[in-house]
Amino acid sequence: MASISTSKAEISYIRTGLLSNPPLRADGRGLHDFRTISLETGVAPLANGSAHLNIGKNPHDGGGGTEVLAAAKLEVENVDGHGDGVNGGRIVCTVSCSPSAYPHLSAPALDDLQQDMSTLLHQTLAHPSLHPPNLGILAGKKSWLLNLDCVVLADAGNTYDALFMAARAALWDCKVPRTRAVEYKASSAAPGAKVLASGEMDVDVGRDIEAQQSGFDTRSIARAVDFELPDYWDEGEVLGGSDRWPVCVTLNIAAPPPSSSSTAPCVHYLDALPQEEAATPLRLLLVFSFPPSSSSNLQAMRILGSGELESNQIRDFVASGEQYGQKIWNALNGKLKEEDVRRGQKARDRFARR
Amino acid sequence: MAFALDRRRINGPEDSFPPSFDLDASQWKLGDPRKDRSPADIRSIFLQPGLISQANGSAYIETAKTKIACAVYGPRQSKNTTYSEMGRLNVEVKFTPFSCVRRRAPMRDAEDRSIAVAIHQALVSSVRLELLPKSTIDIFITIIESDGLEGCVASGSVAASTALADAGIELLGLVTSCAASVVGKEIWLDPTEEEARLAKGTVVVACMPALQKITSIWQAGETKVAEALACMDACQEKCTEIHSVVAQALLESAKI
Repeated sequence: MASISTSKAEISYIRTGLLSNPPLRADGRGLHDFRTISLETGVAPLANGSAHLNIGKNPHDGGGGTEVLAAAKLEVENVDGHGDGVNGGRIVCTVSCSPSAYPHLSAPALDDLQQDMSTLLHQTLAHPSLHPPNLGILAGKKSWLLNLDCVVLADAGNTYDALFMAARAALWDCKVPRTRAVEYKASSAAPGAKVLASGEMDVDVGRDIEAQQSGFDTRSIARAVDFELPDYWDEGEVLGGSDRWPVCVTLNIAAPPPSSSSTAPCVHYLDALPQEEAATPLRLLLVFSFPPSSSSNLQAMRILGSGELESNQIRDFVASGEQYGQKIWNALNGKLKEEDVRRGQKARDRFARR
Repeated sequence: MAFALDRRRINGPEDSFPPSFDLDASQWKLGDPRKDRSPADIRSIFLQPGLISQANGSAYIETAKTKIACAVYGPRQSKNTTYSEMGRLNVEVKFTPFSCVRRRAPMRDAEDRSIAVAIHQALVSSVRLELLPKSTIDIFITIIESDGLEGCVASGSVAASTALADAGIELLGLVTSCAASVVGKEIWLDPTEEEARLAKGTVVVACMPALQKITSIWQAGETKVAEALACMDACQEKCTEIHSVVAQALLESAKI
């Protein structure tokens, strides 16, 4: 991925450090330690759900670290067979990388990088198995299109984990506006009802069932033609399946160089710095979801970078990746609930005190 | 889309729709056995190296409805002037406009790249790029007919590896690849497009059977960890069989 220029001596130094016993990393972390992660939801006021995530912010001056902004925005889409709209709605994920995060990459290389990230995020999150139940509006007519846009503002290693965490937070935060179906009906049905200027009136579906039945009309087609929003624009129900959006664990694999005769086993480590990413190109990406009632689901698994693995190594990596994933999942859930309280209950209390 | 319109060719209408046929009476339901073949069967493979005489190496692969031609040019001098110690492997995938049910406009789109990246990942660790400084190996893959993304990635990897061997480029081993999908409780190998749509999750594994090493795993969808690992094992086993098909094809083309 991001190949900042790293000399051979530096690569060998970093690799030897990782493979030594006890392992040594530039910032003094253990192999399986994460840097500090900070997360805030609701940062984009015009989006339906948003999150700002930072991994490895410098505690002294508040700078540095991988920085990702994710926002989910809903659009109404026609389901008429001409466009891409489908019944029940759809999700489109895109990742854009800020050129300031990758100053060493040329424009086409940056395009390729963001397209690779978009593809992985889209293939994982837009898979039918994760599709939220409440993105439909009117069957066969209208549905929501959820655009999940992530921006990588700064890259200090471990972008994929950051992207998936930010995406999960933004989707958790996403509220779908409530809709009510509306249908038009001839005014002759109910004399004395409020008649609109055009000679039509609007009736909520299911309110006047008797009035709808006519001797001639035996069609069973859905009659709702449009919808209205009963709420204010910023309220709504939580996007369904918010407890299923997965988290990603990137296992960076440091293997002894093939030319050397050392018999040190391959080790894996988490949350790589950019220099470490350049020194150990092989990565195993594991995306887990932990449903409350059953065992964990694997939502995506990729090998990235040159290098090869044996199947029993992959088994070990997946088993340990599952444990790390569970920890990230629990910590993230705790933080997201805390954020909900901060923005809901506490904000109301503060408002009431004024 | 309009900005990249090529005026020299017949572009066709802006949007086109495939004809929709009456649905088959015998719809597959969850729990039914697989149609046409048993779960562990793969579609039969036709593989022919050396069909494109102009290229240094080439291969054509056909597995039922998936038809892919692949040409390898190189190793040749890198066009850009920057020095690189390792050789570069460049994979490009094109869909023909008539390869899918819905017409694909003859332009580069996102799916081409994601398949190219997957095939690159499968191949890159098998090629001895450290022996080819300052050079590039170009692999051009044309998907003539496609039957599911997973099948394209798997067959494309096999074809590309065969073409690399046909071009006489030094490899650590032949790469073979196989897809699997989890449908209900069963694991179906080498799914077609329709079967992949029914599946909860799919796994594509690329490995070098001669060295017992896995070069790429591409998994999507919802699978339990145990199911994903079972798919991996099943694919790896099938890859060993595909390896003998590739070796046989290469041997026959070398004799002529």
